[in-house]
Amino acid sequence: MRPFFTLTGKLVRDARWSLIFSSGALFALGWLFVHVASLNETRILKTLSAAPGEKLRAFRWMRDMGLEDAPSSTAIMMAFWNHPFIVLVVAVWAIGRGAGAVGAEIERGSLDLVLSRPISRSAYLAAQALVATAGLLAIALSLAAGAAIGSWYNVLRTPPEWLALLRPALNLAALGFAVHGYTLLFSSMDLVRWRPTMIGSVLTLAGFIARVIALIPIFKDEAWRPWAERFSIFSLYNPVDAVTGREVYSFDVSVLAGLGAACVGLAFLVFATRDLPANG
Amino acid sequence: MTSALIVTENLSKFYAATPALRDVTLQVHRGEIFGLLGPNGSGKTTAIRILLGFLRPSSGRASVAGFDCWRRSVETRRLVSYMPGELRISGSMSGYGVLKFLSGLREGDGLDRAVAIAERVMKLDLGRKVRKYSTGMKQKLALAQAFADPTDVLILDEPTSALDPSARADVLQLIREARDQGQTIVFSGHVLSEIEAVCDRVAILRRGRLVHVEDMGARRRLRMLLARFGGDEPPPFPEELELSVRRAEGAAWLMEHRGELGPLLRWLAEVDVQDVAIGTEDLRGLYDQYHGPGAAEDGEEFPQ
Repeated sequence: MRPFFTLTGKLVRDARWSLIFSSGALFALGWLFVHVASLNETRILKTLSAAPGEKLRAFRWMRDMGLEDAPSSTAIMMAFWNHPFIVLVVAVWAIGRGAGAVGAEIERGSLDLVLSRPISRSAYLAAQALVATAGLLAIALSLAAGAAIGSWYNVLRTPPEWLALLRPALNLAALGFAVHGYTLLFSSMDLVRWRPTMIGSVLTLAGFIARVIALIPIFKDEAWRPWAERFSIFSLYNPVDAVTGREVYSFDVSVLAGLGAACVGLAFLVFATRDLPANG
Repeated sequence: MTSALIVTENLSKFYAATPALRDVTLQVHRGEIFGLLGPNGSGKTTAIRILLGFLRPSSGRASVAGFDCWRRSVETRRLVSYMPGELRISGSMSGYGVLKFLSGLREGDGLDRAVAIAERVMKLDLGRKVRKYSTGMKQKLALAQAFADPTDVLILDEPTSALDPSARADVLQLIREARDQGQTIVFSGHVLSEIEAVCDRVAILRRGRLVHVEDMGARRRLRMLLARFGGDEPPPFPEELELSVRRAEGAAWLMEHRGELGPLLRWLAEVDVQDVAIGTEDLRGLYDQYHGPGAAEDGEEFPQ
């Protein structure tokens, strides 16, 4: 097992600065969103209670995020967790670690040196996936930690319970794991970094755009709207549902984790059986 | 040299329809230094990558100590230390960090020895970041690790390409010492003089085919004889002489002799020889038969 831990340790060292930056950014955002929620809580509640029958964009947006009448402070706060920057930070980490695992190492020529030692390809990829997944959990938990600690310093109507914040954080990590999974799969087939990065980014962006389009009110009655929803993995990221205890939360996390695990499993299969030609 | 440690049998590798290695059968014996020679694209790197389990053979098989290089790749690599032509690793690590990382991937074996070789033989400052190393220093670092690994087989891919002359001499000495300690070394390179200086046998590859395996011990005993005889042709050779004609150059005959020099000289004293020159032939002469100007094209017979 020592070669596995040696490799894992090196991967952690290599990734530490991007991990610290990503976690720090989301910690700060978690804190900021508590602050924003505390400042706007009364107005949001008023909007929600006054809205039925009215065609207010804000009302629709909040409904689409899963907010019902008289939501808790935590649920209001969770609506902000749909912010694109949060998704962006998680996606950048997931795509970066996935594309860097194989394609980039072959391109750089560093894979030869590692795999010439007695470490199996499965162990190599397991170390890569472990660091990426642990990083995703750390980033998502930083967001939750930022929210939890921020709630000490901001006045909320119903302050969040620590454990309640773990559920949306896990949903976010599962979203990242799915993104990481398909990027890793493409990386395991490739010889360069740019291609899996591009494919992973395009797929993720397309999913995000599909989700946004599906949420636009004027498309609400279009026949293709449910398909756009289904196409997008972002429809499985619902932080409000995660704290309101809807059953759909378990489904969302399971599907995202299952998608990620299936892609990682396929990546193992591809990587274990492929040729590793010399770079250049 | 008692048994074959590395064996390839009808080993071929194709990339789509393009052959990289074709039907290569060879054996590398325990405790020998085996050279791989050939220009770029001749199949040396492909052969090495198959031995390391990086490439799956299209047909045939390769094994190290009986372990199939593809199916039992980890067991194979436990027995093999590999030094790539260039060390490509994170520049943020120190020289010591690289050695520690690489030995950690081999259960921690060989770190002390690697540090000793790097500091005393290679004269490296292991506290410096690798990004501040020159190409030659990086190569020395990789060599220190390769020579320190407690493995049966050492595969060196152009191990001296970035080194200065004195460092090259040190590396050749380390190769000899490794052989003397029982390691088997596969030495792939382009510098013929280095291959000639240390190798026990040399394989020459051409367009993926193994075209010649030379016993360097016999080659060191080889004498080239350029002689002009009294008649149109040389007199018949006595059977005990290992003499063969390579080619005629006008009235002169170029011959090679692989046996003891005494019987040859005695025979020359007896026959009608008008002029004679005896010398040795370096590896370049052999190499040029396959890769030099006028070398046989594919499909033609190669000289044996």
